[in-house]
Amino acid sequence: MTDSKADYNPFGKLTYLIIDDFENFRLSMRQMLRSCGADKIELVAHAGPAIQYCTYNHVDVVLCDFNLGEGKNGQHILEELRHKKLLKRSSLFLMVTAETSKEMVMGAREYQPDAYLTKPINRAVLEKRLSSLISQRNALMPINREIDRENYPEAISLCLQALPRQPRYKTWLMKTLGDLYFRLGDLAHALKVYDDVLAQRELSWAMLGRCKVLLANRSFDEAVTGLRDLIARHPDYMEAYDLLAEGLERQGRPTQAQQVLEQATEHSPNALLRQKQLAELAGANQDMDTASDAWRRTVELGTYSIHDKPEHYLALGQTLSDLSEGDMEEEGTARAREALAVLKRMEKRFADDEGIGIRSQIVQCRVYAGQGQDQKAARILESLRPELENAASLDAQTGLDYAKTLFRLGHETEAKKRLAQMAERFGDDPDTLQKIESLLDEPVGFRQKIKARTLNRDGIKAFESGNLGEAAEIFAKALEIVPDHAALNLNLVQVLMKEYDSNPGNTDLLRRCQTCLDRLAGLPEQHRQHRRYVALQRKLKGLTG
Amino acid sequence: MNNQNIDFSMVLASAVHDMKNSLGMLLNSLDELRSEHEQTLGESARFNTLQYEAERMHNDLVQLLGIYRLGENNLSAHIEEHFVPDFLSEHLARHTPLLQGLGIECSVEAEQINGFFDEDLLTGVLNNTINNAIRYTKTRIRLTAGERDGYLVIGVEDDGKGYPESMQHTGTLSFKSLDFKSGSTSLGLFFASSVATLHSEGDRSGSIKLHNGGSFGGGVFEIWLP
Repeated sequence: MTDSKADYNPFGKLTYLIIDDFENFRLSMRQMLRSCGADKIELVAHAGPAIQYCTYNHVDVVLCDFNLGEGKNGQHILEELRHKKLLKRSSLFLMVTAETSKEMVMGAREYQPDAYLTKPINRAVLEKRLSSLISQRNALMPINREIDRENYPEAISLCLQALPRQPRYKTWLMKTLGDLYFRLGDLAHALKVYDDVLAQRELSWAMLGRCKVLLANRSFDEAVTGLRDLIARHPDYMEAYDLLAEGLERQGRPTQAQQVLEQATEHSPNALLRQKQLAELAGANQDMDTASDAWRRTVELGTYSIHDKPEHYLALGQTLSDLSEGDMEEEGTARAREALAVLKRMEKRFADDEGIGIRSQIVQCRVYAGQGQDQKAARILESLRPELENAASLDAQTGLDYAKTLFRLGHETEAKKRLAQMAERFGDDPDTLQKIESLLDEPVGFRQKIKARTLNRDGIKAFESGNLGEAAEIFAKALEIVPDHAALNLNLVQVLMKEYDSNPGNTDLLRRCQTCLDRLAGLPEQHRQHRRYVALQRKLKGLTG
Repeated sequence: MNNQNIDFSMVLASAVHDMKNSLGMLLNSLDELRSEHEQTLGESARFNTLQYEAERMHNDLVQLLGIYRLGENNLSAHIEEHFVPDFLSEHLARHTPLLQGLGIECSVEAEQINGFFDEDLLTGVLNNTINNAIRYTKTRIRLTAGERDGYLVIGVEDDGKGYPESMQHTGTLSFKSLDFKSGSTSLGLFFASSVATLHSEGDRSGSIKLHNGGSFGGGVFEIWLP
């Protein structure tokens, strides 16, 4: 036992960084730290020098004000430091907040600070708070060191040893244990950790952890029910929304997943990654209005964020282009203008990224074409062509987007040829293959896409209720919009064949079947509809031959 | 906009929010002033009053906001496990400068146990109760914590005259019991009682108890959490 500060001063050994834009506050914080026994203290006013300092120096404790005026805030700094691994797990990051900013900080999707200090702060509070955090840090240091080294099995056994000895840190230890088992893929043990905690008390973090395991175990229904219950009890628990959206998506309910993310972004609008996820999901759901709003937020939030990427600007540009296509009214032209402005901003901001100019122009082409400025679109396309000549060097995203532009400008043969080449090149990438198929199926604007999809659904309904004539009529109407759609063509073939069963004399029906199948002559073998295509072709041969 | 539908409680809530933050800044400055001018201000009764009253207003506003959120059904308890002695001494620390300035002795006497509660909500209750004790005590304040009948009981004791007969009670307070005519509205007690109720486990829920006695023979405030 040591009892005097002179013998053992836990503050003295550590290095500190104070980040605050007010000089008075920096100085008074340093004064307080010094009187606690701290010695190595660095002061900075803004994010730039803070990150610079952490790049070249080891810091044990960061005390960072959330609100730093113009520019990056405390959360941006935290994310950047942790993302670039400039701060070890064993280092402490304390967010200093005025009470108003607390809500703004909460709900960040990743990287939470180790503690919040709410102003007003006096010396006694700082000393108490910091000394208990430092003793926790020291006690848990061996475990964190192993986690930093990604030696999870060793970290787990250290946690298990610490549990009976350090009851004070039980929550931290159990949380960490559950997380480590999960990372190792040992779901059974992870589940047991959470169940043990829940047997004693219904704690929200353990409920969340349990649902996370259930999801990984593919028990989607149970996970979704659990998460809905958790959100009902704690409407401000953001992680639960994220996980629920994931669960609903994996259950095959993308619309509901989108609704959940919309709720979450309403509660906590400042998490970039959540906005991005909402944007992607809404885009996949063909809800372009929501998608464009969410992409716009994502781009805005990127201004000071480490997560900022040119893809966000491109996606916003693409979404606005889709929305403005063929809309020459005020709203459409405004969206087209915004799309072009966003793309320009991207070109400036990411000027050093390779291929940014090309990606931007591919989208610009469509924006102009969608506004009836065909000549301008054609001019841009011609200037792009030489650079995109060599298809083999293009990444999948650029290739797909280029094909989309070619379709929109009426170069269908060229688009199809390039997509066929791509299908070969990306034969072992199911994600890209599916995107190629969808584009080949529906090379049209999203409004027409929705119309064709609705017709397809109505056609199926009519077929199921036995109205063959009506079903055939609806499918044919859908095919007027997307003539090469594989599934739609095959749906129509099936309906016509069934009709033929009861009218064996009507060979016109079979001729129409043949027309549909001829359209799919070039269907590649790896296409999801290929087996069905072959089977129906054989059946037709049997009927005609 | 001729027919403005003013949601006055919303207006109030955002004004309260603003005032609370201003007071936070003010309290910060007071702490700094005190440490910069320790010799001259340490014993100043007027400075102590200034800090005490600002602290009191701050607490009131925190509670007002809490009650507003309660009314909006927007307040839920985020229950986590905490090491009780640490929690109590961290909260006493906030009041240390004022307690020293007033010459009030204070101590923590807590069992070495973990408790389950919402840190932020309990902070609001404790700040208010400690502040109240500062007002009515003569020389001493003590924070206690222990387990009784399966409940975590956190107490604040002082050596003042104690609670008047009419205020001593057990259980939960309803909004109707607030008396806006007498000087003391018991707003703080209503808030404490609401926070206690938000802490529930199975079919048990929390409550508050006010009585006199304790080890100092003055007022005793207790919050019982399942």
